[in-house]
Amino acid sequence: MKKKTFGDIALDVFIYLLLLLVAASTLLPFLNVFSKAVSAEWAVVSGKVGLYPIGFQLDTMKFVITSNPFIRSFLVSVGVTVAGTALSMLLTAVTAYPLSKRQLPGIGMIMLLFIFTMLFNGGIIPNYLLMKQLGLINNLWVLVVPSLISVFNLLVIKSYYESLPDSLEESAKMDGACHFTVLFRIILPLSGPVLATIALFYAVSYWNDFFNSMLYISKPSLKPLQLYLRDIVMDADSVSAGMSRSVEDRMNVSPEGVRAATVIASTIPILLVYPYLQKYFIKGVLIGSVKG
Amino acid sequence: MKFNQKKFVLLALVGAIGLTVAGCGKSDSGADVGTTSSPAASSEGQKPTLRALQVWQKDDYNTYPVAKVLEEKTGYKVQYDMLPQDNALDKLNLLMASGDAYDVITTRGDSNNKALFSDYAKRGALVDLGPLIDKYGPNIKASLSPESIEAAKIDGKLYGIPTRAISIVSASLLVRQDWLDKLGLNVPTTTAEFENMLKAFKEKDPGGNGVNNIPFTIDGSYPFVDSISGAFGMPNGWNDVEGQLVPRVMDTGYKDYLAYMNGLFKTGLLDKEFPVNKDANAKEKFASGKAGVIPLNWSDIPGIMDALNKNNSDAKWTYIPALKGPSGKFGLSANDGFAGITYIPKAAKHPEDAIIWMNAKLDNDTFKLMTIGEENKHYTVKDGAYAPILPLFSDERNQAFNYLTGTDEKNYPIYWQARVRKDPRLFAGWEFLNAKLPTETRYLDPLGISPYLPEYSKNNQSLDSMVNDQTVKFIAGADLTKLDDFIAKYKAAGGDASIKEVNEWYAAKNK
Repeated sequence: MKKKTFGDIALDVFIYLLLLLVAASTLLPFLNVFSKAVSAEWAVVSGKVGLYPIGFQLDTMKFVITSNPFIRSFLVSVGVTVAGTALSMLLTAVTAYPLSKRQLPGIGMIMLLFIFTMLFNGGIIPNYLLMKQLGLINNLWVLVVPSLISVFNLLVIKSYYESLPDSLEESAKMDGACHFTVLFRIILPLSGPVLATIALFYAVSYWNDFFNSMLYISKPSLKPLQLYLRDIVMDADSVSAGMSRSVEDRMNVSPEGVRAATVIASTIPILLVYPYLQKYFIKGVLIGSVKG
Repeated sequence: MKFNQKKFVLLALVGAIGLTVAGCGKSDSGADVGTTSSPAASSEGQKPTLRALQVWQKDDYNTYPVAKVLEEKTGYKVQYDMLPQDNALDKLNLLMASGDAYDVITTRGDSNNKALFSDYAKRGALVDLGPLIDKYGPNIKASLSPESIEAAKIDGKLYGIPTRAISIVSASLLVRQDWLDKLGLNVPTTTAEFENMLKAFKEKDPGGNGVNNIPFTIDGSYPFVDSISGAFGMPNGWNDVEGQLVPRVMDTGYKDYLAYMNGLFKTGLLDKEFPVNKDANAKEKFASGKAGVIPLNWSDIPGIMDALNKNNSDAKWTYIPALKGPSGKFGLSANDGFAGITYIPKAAKHPEDAIIWMNAKLDNDTFKLMTIGEENKHYTVKDGAYAPILPLFSDERNQAFNYLTGTDEKNYPIYWQARVRKDPRLFAGWEFLNAKLPTETRYLDPLGISPYLPEYSKNNQSLDSMVNDQTVKFIAGADLTKLDDFIAKYKAAGGDASIKEVNEWYAAKNK
């Protein structure tokens, strides 16, 4: 290997610094919101809070995370995310398995059907009517059932399965394993990285979803956290944007500190999941895609 | 899969078409709902659970203390659902299109909601409330003024019960009293005195801000500043000029207003960053003590003053009375209109019960209990002035107004003052603008209780933002000779059609 000249090293250092700076800049908005959440209200109102808190206090955070609507929305979100992710993983992993067997008759057709749903759907009104017929309106299952299988995630898992050597499976069958044993005892344990990655995808999408809940949930006690958050933020925006609001309404808007604290409190839980799954993350996606 | 927003709006429109079908399909069963009395209402004892759709609020309607009070007093158990804060109209369209069986729907009363309401009524998706109110709604009848009823009627029939907003002046220019005291100045009363005061603020820098000193800051999205626009004869978006309603941009005072504001901008009296100021930026500048004057809503005073006093404990505020312009005009905008509209869709299962319920809510005692609570528990009353008992009033009645389905137009404005007395500064601000200033200062928004005007509703928003953008440009120094071109553009973009429609209604109303 060629020895690095001073110029090369200087360039490397410069590039690293630049990249670090760019990476750090993505943290700035988050830091700003966080600082607002833990700063004194007067400092927030006077526009003094930038990247670090002024008049540090935790009362706002405490107020937000102990308020009833927040706790209830939080529990709804946790429930939906846990149940949704578990069921999604089970169904996606099991569905992907037969689809990875290309030699099965008609498998191409079935695959096409899955992909078709990626590109086309009935639209909002028909979907709404369908959910209504199924009795899922104002029911938490509506946040889980329609999005149980994401075809994209299904394809990632499928191509990972295809990358596993067939001989593994054959030897298991020779030892008398049935299809389920093969899947659960051989294939799934070998698919750790991709499963962790997909689990994270699912968890994040269940956690962040507000659109389905906005459509299908009207009952205040069933609103998940993201919808609660969005409503609070939009509430303040619509007042400052001068939309015609009654004066009673104007007097009830949450202060900016409370809004910031709500944003932080609803972001942190899902952030905590990342570090645990991060190590599988890149590996999983790469293995699935490159070898597939 | 995520849907993008545009698609959503589009689909909501498709939904509106679907609504026509839903409306037609239901009309057989729905038609007799209004005319014959179904036994559901008259059979005593078994009161059904009503389903109500409400606008968004932070607290859960079902567990908020007002819900319990209403259940006890009216005897009806109500299951409240609420629209989201964002995309509320789209969601409402979706619910209506799918024929969800809500017994009562209450929305806000702004022009977008009025447009939807009128659309539903015309498509036959709503129950005609006239006969039901005649039969079951004596309190509703007594509480509505003829004016409100007229404005809520569609094709001569009453499909909705309006909740009249409390008419108030909400904003004016707020000045740092301590700055005035320091310079030995009086509160200005005319636009000329106002300019002189700003000059003194700029030259003598009473706040000690140095280069950061801003005599006067405004929110760039609202280039029509309260009080100053009144001084040029246009306190409201549309103003009565010799019996005709004229939008600001075509008002004779518009040019003078621009010249005056441009003068302030050129000489550095008006915040030079105002074109990019958002509401929060302007407030930050005032709250941090850098700015001397700001147009401010009195409901914002406590929050802003808390912050300002932390930064500067000597800071004091006072409202400037409505400034007199060069021609002696003055005035502040007072809102008028509907805070909400309540209607019953044809899909409702218990329309009679819904009316009985709403009627019971307007019973004098129940209404008072609902809006401000119990005497000596939630409020005290002295010489007809209601004052809240904190914190219970805030905890149990802050959201009470969201439960209104029709209001006692005579008494509510008096009860309501209990809210304003939650903070002495709030009260002082409200009182100054709404009680202390002479009545002729307050100009009711003439379009406030207009019925649904299709052209106006269609163009209003885009025209408003067009005028605001251009006004900012003019104030910041754009060539005023282009004004005529701009007016021509305004007319072509729907201004003419709106003016014609608005004035046809206005002429008929004043007949």
